[in-house]
Amino acid sequence: MSYRIGVDIGGTFTDFCVFNEKTNELTPLKVLSTPATPGAEVFEGMRQLGERHGIEPSRVTGFTHGTTVGINTVIQRKGARMALFTTEGFGDVLELARLRMPDTTSLFCARPEPLITKERVFPIAERMLADGTPERSVDEASVKAAIAGARAKGCVGIIVSLINGYRNPAHEQQVKAIVERIAPDLFVFCSTDVWPVIREYERTTTTIINGYIHPRVAGYLTSLQRALKERGVRAEPLITKSNGGVMSAELGKRACVGMVMSGTASGVMGASYVARACGVSDAITLDIGGTSADVALIDKGKPQFGMGEKIGDFPLYMPTVSVTSIGDGGGSIAWVDDFGVLKVGPESAGSDPGPACYGRGGTRPTITDAFAVCGFLGHAPLGYNAVTVDPAKARTAIETIAGKLKRTVEDTAEAIIKVAISGMFVEINKLGARYGIDTRDYALMTFGGAGPMMGCFLARELNMKRVLVPMAPGVVCALGGLIADMKNDFIKTVYLDAAPAAAKAIKATYAELEKKAVAWLRSEQGFKGKYTLTYSADMNYQGQSFEIEVFLDAKKAKAGDVRHILSAFHKAHEAIYAFSDDNAGARIVNLRLVIAGALPKPKFARLRKSTRPPKPAKQIEVRFDGKRHKVPLYHRADLLAGQKLKGPAVIAQDDATTCVPPGFAGTVAAHGDIILSKRG
Amino acid sequence: MAIDKVTLQILANHMRAAAENMAYTLYRTAHSTFVKETEDFTVALTDPDGTTCAVPLDLGATWYPGLYYGRAIRMIDRYEEGDIGCTNDPYSGFLATHPPDLHLWKPIFHKGKVMGFAVGHIHNTDVGGAVPASLSRALTEIHQEGIRIPPTKLYRKGKLNDELLGVMLTNVRVPEQNWGDLKAFVGAMNVGERKVKEMLAKFGPKTFSEGLDALLDYAEHQAREVLRAIPDGDYFFSDYNDEDSPGGHPCRFALTLKIRGDEAVLDFTGSDPQLNSSINIPTGGDPRHTLMLVGVYYVLTTMNPNILLNSGLTRPFTCVLPEGTVVNPQFPAAVGMRSMSCGRLRSLIYGAFSQAIPERMPAAPAGSSSIMNVMTTDDRTGRRILAAINPIVGGGGGMPHGDGSNGSGADSAYLKNTPVEITEAEVPVQVLRYGLKPDSGGAGFMRGGLASWMDFKVFSPHSKITARNRDRSKFRAWGILGGKAGQLSNFIINPGRNSEKILGNTDFVVVDPGDVIRIFAPGGGGRGSPFDRPVDKVLTDVERGYVSVAAAEREYGVVIREGTVDRNATEVLRAERRAAEPQGRHFDLGPERETFERIWTRENYDDLTRLLAKLPVHWRFFVKTKIFDAANAAAASGGGAGIGVDALYRRVREEIPELRRMAG
Repeated sequence: MSYRIGVDIGGTFTDFCVFNEKTNELTPLKVLSTPATPGAEVFEGMRQLGERHGIEPSRVTGFTHGTTVGINTVIQRKGARMALFTTEGFGDVLELARLRMPDTTSLFCARPEPLITKERVFPIAERMLADGTPERSVDEASVKAAIAGARAKGCVGIIVSLINGYRNPAHEQQVKAIVERIAPDLFVFCSTDVWPVIREYERTTTTIINGYIHPRVAGYLTSLQRALKERGVRAEPLITKSNGGVMSAELGKRACVGMVMSGTASGVMGASYVARACGVSDAITLDIGGTSADVALIDKGKPQFGMGEKIGDFPLYMPTVSVTSIGDGGGSIAWVDDFGVLKVGPESAGSDPGPACYGRGGTRPTITDAFAVCGFLGHAPLGYNAVTVDPAKARTAIETIAGKLKRTVEDTAEAIIKVAISGMFVEINKLGARYGIDTRDYALMTFGGAGPMMGCFLARELNMKRVLVPMAPGVVCALGGLIADMKNDFIKTVYLDAAPAAAKAIKATYAELEKKAVAWLRSEQGFKGKYTLTYSADMNYQGQSFEIEVFLDAKKAKAGDVRHILSAFHKAHEAIYAFSDDNAGARIVNLRLVIAGALPKPKFARLRKSTRPPKPAKQIEVRFDGKRHKVPLYHRADLLAGQKLKGPAVIAQDDATTCVPPGFAGTVAAHGDIILSKRG
Repeated sequence: MAIDKVTLQILANHMRAAAENMAYTLYRTAHSTFVKETEDFTVALTDPDGTTCAVPLDLGATWYPGLYYGRAIRMIDRYEEGDIGCTNDPYSGFLATHPPDLHLWKPIFHKGKVMGFAVGHIHNTDVGGAVPASLSRALTEIHQEGIRIPPTKLYRKGKLNDELLGVMLTNVRVPEQNWGDLKAFVGAMNVGERKVKEMLAKFGPKTFSEGLDALLDYAEHQAREVLRAIPDGDYFFSDYNDEDSPGGHPCRFALTLKIRGDEAVLDFTGSDPQLNSSINIPTGGDPRHTLMLVGVYYVLTTMNPNILLNSGLTRPFTCVLPEGTVVNPQFPAAVGMRSMSCGRLRSLIYGAFSQAIPERMPAAPAGSSSIMNVMTTDDRTGRRILAAINPIVGGGGGMPHGDGSNGSGADSAYLKNTPVEITEAEVPVQVLRYGLKPDSGGAGFMRGGLASWMDFKVFSPHSKITARNRDRSKFRAWGILGGKAGQLSNFIINPGRNSEKILGNTDFVVVDPGDVIRIFAPGGGGRGSPFDRPVDKVLTDVERGYVSVAAAEREYGVVIREGTVDRNATEVLRAERRAAEPQGRHFDLGPERETFERIWTRENYDDLTRLLAKLPVHWRFFVKTKIFDAANAAAASGGGAGIGVDALYRRVREEIPELRRMAG
């Protein structure tokens, strides 16, 4: 026997997905997260895997890990105390940001306080021009003064980000060398080493996040490596990245910023893998957990990537799997305002105390409590005995607002579900409009602990015809880690007019990027297998102040074929914005290259087939559409491939509960995933 | 109300989803960078009467949740499925508020009956007229401000009105851009129609219609709740634009806010006569015109962040807008730059509310955002370049719970800047400095937000710099409750050189190679006594370079020597300064305004208002100017303070016999 393990730490639960390389079986497991002692949940899970499933650490050939240590460090603002060295005259880059406020309708709007406040920003006397020629060389005295200032402020690390450094990193490198010489005890990151892209705020803030989380992430990964080794796991742990790939834990200690969004990204990767396995290429993924609800678009089998995803209060300008938050998940609190209108969220009971029905001290009614009152929950323990549901506690909580609505408790519970669904409807509608797609053409892929519970109701509201419920909806993120490639992004800002004269520069830049990429994969990661290279360019029409990513044919890109690049750009612009202009001048802002080394993918086991109707475990009473209904309750483990079932029904399993309203009919697919279709 | 409160929330969500869908569609498919960068557009859904019921929150301008389409809609006789109406004429139904804003409305039918309209506006970069971009403060009548389309069908039964389009596009400077944006805009209307039809299928026409009424009632209720929590009373305030026309006299806006229970009257009597420039605000005297209530929306949202944005919010408010004034100009007054006056109207409204609920309101936000454009030549390529560079925005006012935000904020929070690196890659200029201006925020227990500041150099001869919306270079953003007014804005060529030129309120200048342009915004007002600001916060401000050592001592009474606070000296100085502070003043208006108001007292303004109201509209601005000239002449000869308007008017009448004849 040999096993590969994917582990993903979430707000409430930590999910394990174990893949048996011999039998192709997946074993899911959930344990409660321990935010106070990050890492403890990993070892608790390993212990349980050994105890319950006989999985020995020495048999583990692969260990992939998604962690929230990075993002939590930013959210809780517990990162390293650092100084920023920047070009004289531009020290307010962090305070000004991009000027626009997160909330534009309140007089009390405010930008979040930067991770490095102004008293720790030090001017460097130097200036690089926009074309990369130095106008004023680095004044060493100003660097020394900055170092002295940083020391006086108790900083442990330095971020160097200079104006126009993206064009010529020489000055940043010079400053770094001086810091390393004079203050070797301070860590130092240059913006052009982390992500050398035009736009000073974006580049600087991305580099700061990298430095800010560096000591904690490095400490965490070191202790993880050590503890796994002590327990007998010989495989070097891999860390899932925001770009949907993985890297070695060793590398993650310095390239920390690449893993900030690891959990959400690998959820989407896992979901797209399962969708493909079900033969679905266009899907909207819906990941609802106890503390978050996220959606993402999978178009023609591919997740979308973007830059500028939010990390706590700050945007991160590195390629990240695009995920949109649509609320706070099952823990969102229902309340009644002074006009008597029922509201759900934005306040959330979070993971502590959590929903009232979890019996962990929560008293206010949440979405999860509404489902409990309606009879959908409480038929099987949730999260592998981590939590039991007490519907009586849910009733008590919902009673507190039922009076204000002049409704019965059941009526109120159902109203909470409806209002919550309509709130999510707004967000998914926006997502559709943003991408210019008709959501009715997409399948809804539900996962996370609460996704399958709400998925069909949401699909109904959105007029979506198909809903997918994966075999193990609770551990799709962990699965995402198991199927990921060894992957990294490379970028260079060229700012070229897309004209024949640019060919030489394009060719040279791609050659340089390829050299870097291969070196990363072969030397830094020690990866020996096959790899693919994906070429793209960030382009715009002259005068536009934003770019779109244009995917290019590898051969033509490498050859600097500007005609190909231009026509690909016009096509991409047409696809996104519904117009293009062949006569307008276009510009290549950045050239990009992604390297991906393929790791072996699990093949899912096929379920035993059956043509007989599935047998319900029992009949239960649930409430929806204003009435009580007697409906069959199925255990997921009893369902066999090819079996069909009709709504209304409830399917219970260890890590999630699936609600099937009337009008939906389900088929169990070959690997055990359920495909629900709406009739009519 | 028949609809239940659960269905109401669900309908509210669906309406918002429809509005957001329209907004994202427009934003995504619009051609002009202008639309994408400034988001100067709106979309909305109205009831069959043309009353706005739902707007998006993610994208678009924040001024129009209370916009009324009814008057314009009814200027077209009848509608059929597939029709789309349009207008950009500020004087046809008082829908469009200046000619660059083109409004569309599309009726949505159910079984032959209009159930509502999908509506919106888009700001075209240019609609023809006297100047590129169609906007200049110097224009004096609407005919100079571009082509005007009265309410007309752009589409009839789904078919484009080619002739109208032809006329429109023939009259503008960048027709392909207007047409590109218009296509995206029509797409958004169609999305709105489709989404409403989906709602009609889901909720049924009866629930839908009742729901729209209930949504308006809901917002009205929320607005009334906010008002009920505000003490009854009359609260008077006035505020000024620096100039009523290029190089002109100050332009006054006056407001008496009368709170009575859950209702409020906003009486703008005392505001200047309609102006011979383009900063008039076209309202048609509509007592609930959205432009007059933008400041109110901000107050309501600030008091209750969960408030539903639609026309219901405007119901408890009644504006008094005397005809022939800057807030209700008669045709054909120019209105293109009404945004400048709208900015001042907002601070006027905040000032009135701050007297009613001082504990909950901030001091004045900076109140002026200069939109910077550079037209120059790239010497390497010979290419002419017209580019927008950073907007220069001031800070927010000191808040009850924190300092004003720096560099932008409060009611100018929607503006984005351009990265220095993009500007330098794109435009042949070099930015020497872009940051916050030390000491620009009004001192206070809660400091006013700092102004943004940019210095840049040009390399090519005859480079043209415009700084649209320049203001607050003469009158400051006021402080409250002991807080001080913020610093003034300025616009300077070659600061510190022999060739230095201070441009103040000017908004256009031509510069040559090597010239340095410095521009900085006004700072926000402070809130609460600066002598109560914790010493450590003052020290932090000094360490951050937000406040200089000298200002810490002068404004805050905090003595800092070699980086540390001299606690004893500070205590002594603060006690001294506190004792010398004037007591019981709500506002600190700044020395410039205090000087101005030594002549232009409230009584004098009351007399002026009465006197001008008796004159025919076309005489008023002229007479105001003459009276101010006379007052300035009197002041110059030492007889300024105490002089009455009647005396001044007599001098003017002596000088101008025609006026004597006409006014009797």
